[in-house]
Amino acid sequence: MVTYVVRRLLWLPFLLLIIGLITFALGLYGPGDPVLVMMGQHANPEAAARVRHELGLDRPFLVQYADYVWKALHGDFGESLKYRGQPVGRLMAKRLTVTVQFNVVVMAVGVAVGIPLGILAALNRNNLIDYFIVLLTVAGISLPVLAIAPIAMWFLAARFHLLPSGGWDGIFSRRIIMPTLVLAIGPAAVFVRQTRANMLEVLDQDYVRTARAKGLREYTVIVAHALRNALIPLFTIFGLMLGGLVGGGIITESIFGIPGIGRLVWDAFGARDYPVIMAYTLLVAMAYTLANLFVDVCYRFVDPRIRYG
Amino acid sequence: MALLEIKGLKTRFFTEDGVVHAVNGISYDLEEGGTLGIVGESGCGKTVSVLSVMRLIPEPPGKIVGGEVLFEGRDILKMDPDDVRKVRGNRIAMVFQDPMTSLNPVLTIGRQIDEALELHMGMDKHQARQRTIELLETVGIAEAADRADDYPHQFSGGMRQRVMIAMALSCNPRVLIADEPTTALDVTIQAQIIELVKRLREDIGMAIVWITHDLGIIAGLAERVIVMYAGYIVERASVKDLYGDPRHPYTIGLLGSLPRLDETRKRRLFSMRGLPPDLIDLKPGCPFAPRCDYVIDRCWEETPPLEPVTLGHEIACWVDVKSSQPSKPAN
Ligand SMILES: Nc1ncnc2c1ncn2[C@@H]1O[C@H](COP(=O)(O)OP(=O)(O)O)[C@@H](O)[C@H]1O
Ligand SMILES: [Mg+2]
Repeated sequence: MVTYVVRRLLWLPFLLLIIGLITFALGLYGPGDPVLVMMGQHANPEAAARVRHELGLDRPFLVQYADYVWKALHGDFGESLKYRGQPVGRLMAKRLTVTVQFNVVVMAVGVAVGIPLGILAALNRNNLIDYFIVLLTVAGISLPVLAIAPIAMWFLAARFHLLPSGGWDGIFSRRIIMPTLVLAIGPAAVFVRQTRANMLEVLDQDYVRTARAKGLREYTVIVAHALRNALIPLFTIFGLMLGGLVGGGIITESIFGIPGIGRLVWDAFGARDYPVIMAYTLLVAMAYTLANLFVDVCYRFVDPRIRYG
Repeated sequence: MALLEIKGLKTRFFTEDGVVHAVNGISYDLEEGGTLGIVGESGCGKTVSVLSVMRLIPEPPGKIVGGEVLFEGRDILKMDPDDVRKVRGNRIAMVFQDPMTSLNPVLTIGRQIDEALELHMGMDKHQARQRTIELLETVGIAEAADRADDYPHQFSGGMRQRVMIAMALSCNPRVLIADEPTTALDVTIQAQIIELVKRLREDIGMAIVWITHDLGIIAGLAERVIVMYAGYIVERASVKDLYGDPRHPYTIGLLGSLPRLDETRKRRLFSMRGLPPDLIDLKPGCPFAPRCDYVIDRCWEETPPLEPVTLGHEIACWVDVKSSQPSKPAN
């Protein structure tokens, strides 16, 4: 088990190195020149060259990349080009805390609502409760946040003043309620759908019939025999969402005025602020890799059929 | 009074394609300590008939639409769910066809046996585990104390079926229903399992309903045999009569397709033509008529009732095969 985790972790630096290289190359050879964006289209070419030289952007590609990697290893991800003088690490850390906190809350609500509803629907297969839940799920999956958000804001905030329309004041403030409600709909719907499908499949299995043939109470049959089998495959979705925790929703953060990483990165793209884009790409790659590993490790604990390899 | 009396049991499945007439009014008795064989081709309602006895039919789409299942004089079909659960696994236990899928993959086999003991025998965890280990030893699992903590995937098919048997026998049931317990296993393992069940029958003295589509297995195991076809019982007899003097054309067909070791003359191995009917649109008349070599006009109009031909030997057939010639050549 430990060997397995170590082996997987050893791959991570190589992965990051390659992803970093690609992103770096795209930044350097791709469209848009950060210096021109910074100084304006009609900047004096000599001045631009000077700035470029100061920033080290006129060195050979591999030298620049090696330099970047070397500094990154020491925790220095460079300075933002847009916010001159601001270290990328510090700039992102602040935004990242907000995004991660917010996403964790959204995901927790999605799981807490989605899984029980999914089970409820499965246990009521093909009756009104099931149909109602399935209907909600379809709506939840197909309605885009962009459509729900304004309605929720108008209804809950503007019209009836029930909730603040967003903003950020930490996870224990009332401000978080509306964005959470709106954003949790999607994940909740995904969990309902998957839980229901898994549960229906498991309830048809021979071993559930064996459990009933033993004389077990229906509650025991569901909880001790069916549920665990139905929940195991959900870890995969869970892992994907976990990886997504660090990536802020660009649009949603803007709509609800949440000062998360999504906004920062959006602006960075506009400004060709490569140090920020680089750091963000590496962060997301790392998050997905670690989330994947975490899920694999979890599987080994919840599913006895998977052995340490 | 027989231990288990089934009277006019009818089970249907209400599916999108139509109503599946899976069990069409079957009746039989099981005596204390007796062994009854149920044979028939696959799809003829054997499993559904015994699942109905335990009220384990998935509902919907299934429904028991008629009949009685008297166990020790009480109708299981009329019991409230709590009482049914006290019978299941405790008084009547079941071993299923596919040992690969019948055990829960995420629970240890020990746990899966313990829970029945805790439930029905009121044992605590420790007592239950002691008993589980004894049971596993009884069914021939080596190093039972260690293996109890293993998961189903760590056992072979034959071993899993032994575990299923240990589980079924854990609460000393009066009746063991074995639904094709050896069909999924290879021949040597099959023989071992049959020997095991015979030995346990001696020790525990439970009655057995043994389902199979293989007439060869039943001969050495049961006293009485029921032959099912399309959800009906078409012949019922002692093992001796059924093999020595089969009277229903279907049984004759089944026996004819069985290779025999004691055959002196070389006989052409014969297999029945045609397929069993679709249980969704069962036509009136004898369900076997389309495949029958002895068919007469009446067979197409009226379903024959199960009636005695000799003492303890009943068939559902309008024709006396002893005194008629096949109207169609056997092929
Ligand atoms: N859950 C179900 N839904 C619909 N039809 C079913 C179901 N279970 C069994 N049947 C039908 O009932 C009939 C009898 O099946 P079964 O008792 O399993 O046959 P077998 O004699 O092989 O055990 C078959 O036609 C089968 O298709
Ligand atoms: Mg069957």
